Amino acid sequence: MIKVRIPTPLRPMTGGKSEVEIAGKTVSEIIENLGSAHPGIKERVYDEQGEVRRFINIYVNEEDIRFLTGKDTPLKDGDEVSIIPAIAGGT
Amino acid sequence: MLAIPSSIIKDMIAHARELAPHECCGILSGSGGTIAEGYRITNILASLSEQDLKRFDGAKLSDLKRLSPEERSDIAFQMDAREMAMAQRDIRSKSLDLLGFYHSHTFSPARPSQTDITIAMEFESYRAKLNFPEPFHLIISLEHPNQPVVRAYRIQDSLATEVPIHSLP
Ligand SMILES: [Zn+2]
Repeated sequence: MIKVRIPTPLRPMTGGKSEVEIAGKTVSEIIENLGSAHPGIKERVYDEQGEVRRFINIYVNEEDIRFLTGKDTPLKDGDEVSIIPAIAGGT
Repeated sequence: MLAIPSSIIKDMIAHARELAPHECCGILSGSGGTIAEGYRITNILASLSEQDLKRFDGAKLSDLKRLSPEERSDIAFQMDAREMAMAQRDIRSKSLDLLGFYHSHTFSPARPSQTDITIAMEFESYRAKLNFPEPFHLIISLEHPNQPVVRAYRIQDSLATEVPIHSLP
């Protein structure tokens, strides 16, 4: 199982949990399985083309998947996946 | 105390002026309490879909929905995640830390808004797990266009505390 960190805006879909355990061998499998376990999350992470939305970073441990092999990045037991919206703010 | 080379302060103000009335945003690297380098990051707010806008909390979200996509970036910013990741990579390759985030307030004072504080606390909730040091949050105010003001803050427990800026020659 892989520990997945859920960002604040998506926690209503995980019953408020900030971390969930999900099975999967790649990042893409994790997002699929996360979406099945917690409906609505996948659509918030991927855009209509199935790419990670432009304001979201997905990290495996401390590395952004854009610098690994993207959604195909392989995972092993003990890895941690973090879904992190990039910094925003306003007036 | 936060030490920043005056060239970086000038560039943040120039960035804010170039994008006004839209808000600009960027990140700062350095070590300890000294900034070494600034990275301009694209404010992608105008291109966010209705779905994406849900990353903002209730009050901000309803304000944003009342505006056209173009106008939305006058009152808010969203950093481009890909550019942020690239900057973070560059920062790491130079053995520096991600030390701060900056953005502009086009029409209001250089004080963190409720949205700024909420999102800073969101970052705080996972920061340690990703090995980022506690960041400074900088705001460039163009409220008085001929007298731009730059202020730095620490944001902890939903409270913003100003940190004096020391400008390095
Ligand atoms: Zn702000």
